[in-house]
Amino acid sequence: MAKKIVKLTFTGETIKQPLTFQMAKKFDVMPNIRRARVTDKIGEIVLELDGKEENLQKGIKFLEKAGVVVEPVIGDIIE
Amino acid sequence: MSYVKGLKCRECGREYPANILFVCEYCFGSIEVAYDYDKIKKVLTRQEIEKRPKNMWRYKELLPLSKEPSDGLTTGFTPLVRSHNLAKVLGVKELYIKDDSVNHPTLSFKDRVVAVALSKAKEFGFRTVACASTGNLANSVAANAAIAGLRAFIFIPADLEQGKIIASSIYNPVLVKVEGNYDEVNRLCSEIAAKYKWAFVNINIRPYYAEGSKTYGFEIAEQLGWRAPKHIIVPAAGGSLVTKIKKSLQEFYQLGLIPEFKTKLYVAQGEGCAPIVTAIKEDNEIIKPVKPKTIAKSLAIGNPADGFYAYDVVKKSGGWAEAASDDEIINAIKLLAETEGIFTETAGGVTVAATIKFIKEKRIPKDESIVICITGNGLKTQEVVADKLAKPLKIKPSLGSFEEEQKKRPTADHYSI
Repeated sequence: MAKKIVKLTFTGETIKQPLTFQMAKKFDVMPNIRRARVTDKIGEIVLELDGKEENLQKGIKFLEKAGVVVEPVIGDIIE
Repeated sequence: MSYVKGLKCRECGREYPANILFVCEYCFGSIEVAYDYDKIKKVLTRQEIEKRPKNMWRYKELLPLSKEPSDGLTTGFTPLVRSHNLAKVLGVKELYIKDDSVNHPTLSFKDRVVAVALSKAKEFGFRTVACASTGNLANSVAANAAIAGLRAFIFIPADLEQGKIIASSIYNPVLVKVEGNYDEVNRLCSEIAAKYKWAFVNINIRPYYAEGSKTYGFEIAEQLGWRAPKHIIVPAAGGSLVTKIKKSLQEFYQLGLIPEFKTKLYVAQGEGCAPIVTAIKEDNEIIKPVKPKTIAKSLAIGNPADGFYAYDVVKKSGGWAEAASDDEIINAIKLLAETEGIFTETAGGVTVAATIKFIKEKRIPKDESIVICITGNGLKTQEVVADKLAKPLKIKPSLGSFEEEQKKRPTADHYSI
């Protein structure tokens, strides 16, 4: 099993969809939400994803395809 | 002697010992260094600071080391230039330029953060340091690691221009060209940082590294005669610098080193990569990541780690934010050079261009003290202005030819906004 800490940013239509739940169910990934900020225009969730490495990759791809921005929690490190 | 109390989560406030930790174990929030200010107040006075060598370590009690500093001993205390020519062009009364384009050893403000990171890395027992960078950070880690005798790994995107590679490879680090896009390089470096026992300066050493930026703010206050200016305009990439300038002035005020701290802080970014500016203008505390497209490469961070904190600091100070287009950046670089003799890189162009907007919009009054932050040197990014400058006069080797040609070129006072 592998773990990944990521920040998800939801904008537009993605805010209204239960994408985190769908990803968890479809790819057998366990999300552990640690922090979130939500407004009517944009949402941000910081969470840990737990699952098989292969499933984590698929789950992240699923979110990205749906329009969610998936980034490492530490932000961009190329300065 | 250390004055560090420990580390503290900026989100949930949870406290930790001063070890290697860069996100809160509970909420994954970012971590910052906390100090024992009561203890510092007993030893750090203006007189004590003024007695010390003119480098960034004259404020060492407010930096996160446990031992005496061993790196960056010639870094900092860069000029705070009182501007007369640019002030005249902008129509303002009291304008200063904090000029880190001449910081030692690699001509950018990154030498400050890297000095702290390397000294701290050695305290932790690391023998290898690393970073991922497209410019100033790479130069600084490579040079400072060479001075410190540490092994350095520098990760760069494979398509980085040759000129930028030379400015790091001259110091003989292990340069690693990663064949991938920006996001892939970013992700790979996170994975390497998690696996290898290296001091990745802006990942696992980040809370300490970032503290080095405070010295930029300390110097502004000291060089102004122990006072905080009314307005400071700061370029933003990851957003850390503006938060650390705020922290520095707050600390000086708390320690009684400056009488007042009512500075308004302003952020400047390139138009093609302005997630913090957008958040401030739209009054939205959630930063929306963007794909960078700007000539201001040193500010091209689409997912800024300290974006929210930068937003928060600017809003609470009563400041504002502006983005500069590529043309505005180039014109501002030229303006600063033609008025003050300072050749800055694109980040400096962004800051000057944004300052012009703040003054035009009357967000900054013309009769109050203003400091513009110049954080890097234009000699490193000459390509952005190369074809925008006046061509040399071409003459025959005769006085007649010279006199004929020189009539074609206007001189002096040719700058305007």
